[in-house]
Amino acid sequence: MDKLLRIDMGMDGGPKASEEPLGDYAGLAGRGMTSAIIAKEVPPLCHPLGKDNKLVIAPGLLSGSHAAQSGRVSVGCKSPLTGGIKEANSGGQGAQVIARLGYAAIVLEGKPGDDTLYKVVINKDGVEITPDNSLKMMGNYDLIDKIRETYGDKVACISIGPAGEMKMAAASVAFTDMEQRPTRHAGRGGVGAVMGTKGIKVIVLDDTGMPTRSPKDPEKFKAANKAFVQGLKKHPITGEGLPSFGTNILTNVINEAGALPTHNFKTGRFDGAGNISGETQSEIMKARGGMVAHGCHKGCVIRCSGIYNDKDGNFVTKRPEYETVWAHGGNCGIDDMDTIAELDRMDDDYGLDTIEMGAAIGVAMEAGLAEFGDAEAAVNLLKEVGKGSPLGRIIGNGAAVTGKVFGVERVPVVKGQALPAYDPRSVQGMGVTYATTTMGADHTAGYAVTANVLNVGGSVDPLNPEGQVELSRNLQIATAAIDATGMCLFIAFAILDQPETFEALVDMIGAFTGQNLTADDVTELGKTILTFERDFNSRAGFTQKDDRLPNFFKEEPLPPHNVTFDVKDEDLDRVFNW
Amino acid sequence: MGSPAGGSPFSSVVKRPMEPKPENYSTINLRLTVESDRLSLFSSLLGQGFTLKVRTGCSLRELLCEQLGVHADYVDQRIQTIFLDGKTVDDVDTAVIRQESTLALSAAMPGLAGATLRRGGAYAAMRRQISHQNTAGHNSVADGVVMLKLFNLVALELGPGFLKQGIWIRGKHMENFFKKVPDYFWPGCRAAEIDGTPLKVEEIRRLEWRHRQVFLKLEVKESG
Ligand code: SF4
Repeated sequence: MDKLLRIDMGMDGGPKASEEPLGDYAGLAGRGMTSAIIAKEVPPLCHPLGKDNKLVIAPGLLSGSHAAQSGRVSVGCKSPLTGGIKEANSGGQGAQVIARLGYAAIVLEGKPGDDTLYKVVINKDGVEITPDNSLKMMGNYDLIDKIRETYGDKVACISIGPAGEMKMAAASVAFTDMEQRPTRHAGRGGVGAVMGTKGIKVIVLDDTGMPTRSPKDPEKFKAANKAFVQGLKKHPITGEGLPSFGTNILTNVINEAGALPTHNFKTGRFDGAGNISGETQSEIMKARGGMVAHGCHKGCVIRCSGIYNDKDGNFVTKRPEYETVWAHGGNCGIDDMDTIAELDRMDDDYGLDTIEMGAAIGVAMEAGLAEFGDAEAAVNLLKEVGKGSPLGRIIGNGAAVTGKVFGVERVPVVKGQALPAYDPRSVQGMGVTYATTTMGADHTAGYAVTANVLNVGGSVDPLNPEGQVELSRNLQIATAAIDATGMCLFIAFAILDQPETFEALVDMIGAFTGQNLTADDVTELGKTILTFERDFNSRAGFTQKDDRLPNFFKEEPLPPHNVTFDVKDEDLDRVFNW
Repeated sequence: MGSPAGGSPFSSVVKRPMEPKPENYSTINLRLTVESDRLSLFSSLLGQGFTLKVRTGCSLRELLCEQLGVHADYVDQRIQTIFLDGKTVDDVDTAVIRQESTLALSAAMPGLAGATLRRGGAYAAMRRQISHQNTAGHNSVADGVVMLKLFNLVALELGPGFLKQGIWIRGKHMENFFKKVPDYFWPGCRAAEIDGTPLKVEEIRRLEWRHRQVFLKLEVKESG
């Protein structure tokens, strides 16, 4: 992982690939890499769909090695959804294979002069870029079937569906999983639309003949990885809860907390939650011969994913995650697991962010285009998106556009991006992060590091708004740092609770890179990334007024607890004072 | 963690008075004989809530450990996320059970949301608006009824104990269960009895449960 691969799609004479040493980007990975390149090389005022935007795909620090849970990949660009900097991340095989091919990042730049669609093949011998218009408007599933016919079942693919080709602001970039299915997505922020503007339908990655990345200190690395895996396996969340129920274990609990946004954020409880809970979902999956515990990439020992089959035992989709079950489920009043699985499959096939789609359909329901709870109507609305009809193009551009077009006031977005599955009126600390993050309503994974490294949490005064601000600040710093390592975020509880597992992780990174990580390094890395991102956003025209939740969160009490979001604007503005 | 020492999460077999006297509903006693590998299917039902007759006015710990017989280690280690009337509980010793309280029990949850809702967790400050306020010191102990909801690993581990003793559930939840339960439940449901009268298993699917209060009791047989 000592070089960058740049693919310029706008060169006279056709697309051209070139390799270069890392230079100033040496030592960066994941979000650290994507945000550094975007902040330095992309003009903040450029059009996100124009030639000056770049799409950066960067594996994690330990990707391509034997380190457990190291297969996350970051995809960065100027976002067509938010207009600001974006990092969306994904599981799947991509990170491991890009890293083994020796690239710390693949940078797609420029813009072809016409609408020719290209296929990029990268292997040990180099890069081949060929026009292939036969792939136009193919869904991700058919596309990967076709790629398999030519390149076999060992390659990994990065692709876009029709939504990316149509440059929809909710379009995702798909990564194939261990079974070579396009089920893992860098979903947020419209990264798929940027890939679409580059005219690239699919990148085929073949690491045949490439070695696994080796650590600087193999013995120490092996021992640390072993201790890390043991820690993950013995913890009740990573060893039992997630493999048994997946992330959808949260539905019942968030519902009980009154924090499950229901009917487009009207209430915090959904009557049908029990029908779509992780408990119910697992029983359905087991009964149909699906797999309840399954990894999204090789080297995952937690295995929060699974296989969801139809009534006849045929594959439909991977286990729909909590966020998806909420977005297409409670948020739209739908309590049928099979419909949610079908919508998830369609999102993956068209190449769409499930959160943004669920939120946009919720807003469309609020506008009266369908009744809340009408599963068939939700499926039909999503089909419109896949077809690219005028209505589909509106919904495919996300909740904010849908709300604007249909005159809806309650639109749950920050910086144009839909909120995830927790109502910030009930969990206000998360609301602080949703409001102020550089990414637009998202990104909260760094909690374990804040407790362990930054030593915050318990000392925060719960009644002082500054407490929320301090927590959010440290969470965002830690999250940026974790995103840069490329580790799966679900390691967090095990490293939060078990000091020896946290130590094993730190040792593993140290033994791999040959550099010992200190608390100060983690903090500095996180702050540096956030500083790049804030700077980019401010040059792109973002101001404090963009760091706000929509007004309805402050004005409409959320049942059952009847709470409003009461963190003051001046407190939100202190989040980045460090 | 899990069931302490891998054994039963109950410290003793407590004889629980389970039958409240539901009003405004006709009641029905349903007894099912099911194979042990079908027990996990009841998790969704346990998550909807069932009522118990208990002594109210006591602390949550007293209810769980002394009245319901749950092992103290299990309460401290496994039950990491607790809601009393929808509010997150941080301290089981000071939270007081009231008449008609709803109590929900869960294992630790993933993600920042999970960390935030966790009892006494580092991120409790982030959900102060929905935290349960301590209510110790105003107790008047009395007979009463509470609704208990069991989620995820806690449902798998504590659920069978409650189901074998019998639980009161709303008819609409029972009806929904029979409607949605995966088909493979039925071959593992070996016998059914209503108010002491045996009936064919497939008939329980056809009965009208909605406007009744159901006392469900399971007898568990080894699978196979
Ligand atoms: S725990 Fe889940 S998200 Fe993380 S690597 Fe494994 S399957 Fe992927």
